[in-house]
Amino acid sequence: MLLDFDKLGAWKWALSAICAVMALFLLLPILFIVALSFGSSRWLIFPPPGWTLKWYEELFADPRWIGAALTSAKIGVIVMVLSVVLGLLASMALVRGTFRGRAVLRAFFLTPMVLPVVIVAVALYAAFLRLGLNGTLPGFVIAHLIVALPFAIITISGALETFDPSIEDAAILCGASPWEARLRVTLPGIRHGLFSAAIFSFLISWDEVVLAIFMASPALQTLPVKVWTTLRQDLTPVIAAASTLLVALTVILMIVAALIRKGKSE
Amino acid sequence: MTTPFLHINGIRKTYGDVVATDHVELSIAEGEFMTFLGPSGSGKSTTLYILAGFQDPTAGDIRLRGQSILRTPSHKRNIGMVFQRYTLFPHLSVGENVAFPLRVRRMGQAEVAAKVKRALSLVRLDGFEDRMPARMSGGQQQRVALARALVYDPPVLLMDEPLSALDKKLREEIQFEIRRIHQETGVTILYVTHDQEEALRLSDRIAIFNRGKIEQVGTGPELYANPATHFVADFIGDSAFLSGRLASLKGGRAAIRFEGGQQIVDVPLHGAGQEGQAADLMLRPERMELTPEAGPAGASLPVTVQDITFLGNCTSVAARTDWGDALTVRLNFGHPLAGRVARGDRLNVRWSPEAAHAFVRG
Repeated sequence: MLLDFDKLGAWKWALSAICAVMALFLLLPILFIVALSFGSSRWLIFPPPGWTLKWYEELFADPRWIGAALTSAKIGVIVMVLSVVLGLLASMALVRGTFRGRAVLRAFFLTPMVLPVVIVAVALYAAFLRLGLNGTLPGFVIAHLIVALPFAIITISGALETFDPSIEDAAILCGASPWEARLRVTLPGIRHGLFSAAIFSFLISWDEVVLAIFMASPALQTLPVKVWTTLRQDLTPVIAAASTLLVALTVILMIVAALIRKGKSE
Repeated sequence: MTTPFLHINGIRKTYGDVVATDHVELSIAEGEFMTFLGPSGSGKSTTLYILAGFQDPTAGDIRLRGQSILRTPSHKRNIGMVFQRYTLFPHLSVGENVAFPLRVRRMGQAEVAAKVKRALSLVRLDGFEDRMPARMSGGQQQRVALARALVYDPPVLLMDEPLSALDKKLREEIQFEIRRIHQETGVTILYVTHDQEEALRLSDRIAIFNRGKIEQVGTGPELYANPATHFVADFIGDSAFLSGRLASLKGGRAAIRFEGGQQIVDVPLHGAGQEGQAADLMLRPERMELTPEAGPAGASLPVTVQDITFLGNCTSVAARTDWGDALTVRLNFGHPLAGRVARGDRLNVRWSPEAAHAFVRG
């Protein structure tokens, strides 16, 4: 290799140090929040004078927090299912289709990734005002689906591109109808891609805040919105506890996604 | 005339202005091993894919036991196929891969197990049921694919260059297996390849494809001894072609005159031509002989040695005619000339009369 880590000499230590500093820079705020959520001080003093679980008790005793978490989970799961189903159908057309304008259509599907989220949010808010969808569950789902779908399409298209269409042809000659072949051979063949798409779609919805703030009503808000609004009213360690749980679920799902990818490469 | 088992009747396939196959006409007997041989883009794979039902012909018909199969969708044709690429279902074990066609046919569990066992035994992979495809070599995967294609006893098995991804030694080993399996099962096989050696080794008959058409159909020895066209003569065997002009014609035999006035007489002529037209004289390498002294007039030519290569069991001598056409003659190990011939030597090449063919230049 042109740049062999082992042959860098003194640079090796410099590079390692830069990496460590970068990792700390990225992780410290999160570790800080986690520590504060277990700290006994009401005023978020660091380092915490003592340790306690009372902020978690307060969190779980408050039906508004539980409601927000359940709303987040419900929206996340619906977005996940729709994103994978629509992403699969779109990917089938983009990868296996032979119609004109596929490249343009693909680029079009991916635009929500590059558009500033706040612009999408304002546009959706204006549109939903007419449709009466602001502050409703379908409104949340559509908004999050728009940002989750490009990731699902990228992941599933990627899996489908590496899956040889001859395998599907082989299944058809074996006697499976084209739909049976897709269901029994192609889908299981790209299941790693489908799982990854599901996890990322859920996570995108789970910790999305900009669109959610626009969509939220006092009666219906997601966990990140609840964190944000609470933060504006009073600075309580309950927020740290809620944030810690948010991060925990994200980390767990990221690990699952990594394991799926590892399982695929083996 | 009795109805042929499989009849490919005037198949034509065009993509816009491009003609992929043009009036392909072929009858295949039950149990026959028929190979489609030709360069890439010659229409052999297209014909196979039309048989499989993945493509529809622009014109023509395909009849199996007298019944057209073109209206039957691929999955109901009951045809077996082994592909060029590895097509085992990656998420299923070897046993489940082979069982797949039977499960799709809703066959009972006990019967499935028995048939899978027999099919794996046929390709000599007994006991591999639980292995995952990713943990097998390319050769093993293609053998499983073969078992999967045969497990439901299809009347016809299509094979689309199934060995092209394997190395030479493994290829020969599996060619031998395919021959054995053909003999044991008696299944009718249509085999596509661009490898003449593979075609000669496996087939009962070979159809030579060129530019979407079948140039000639016959057994290996027939094609080698009596090539109908320049293309067939060139594609099977490493022949030399010497360019000249037709000097005289009589009853399908001709004399050819080369630049400088030398003339070769009484060779079978393929293709219609008239005096003065450009024509090639084809000579098979193993029928040519190098001698220091001049051969009989009209069936020998003087040449100049260009290069000598020792190849173990033979020595290959590259030589040039006086008008510049190249030809290669093999001297078997121990040939009196083998150790003595040198670059620049003037020698004579002669041949037995039945080894020469003349082809009118198209």
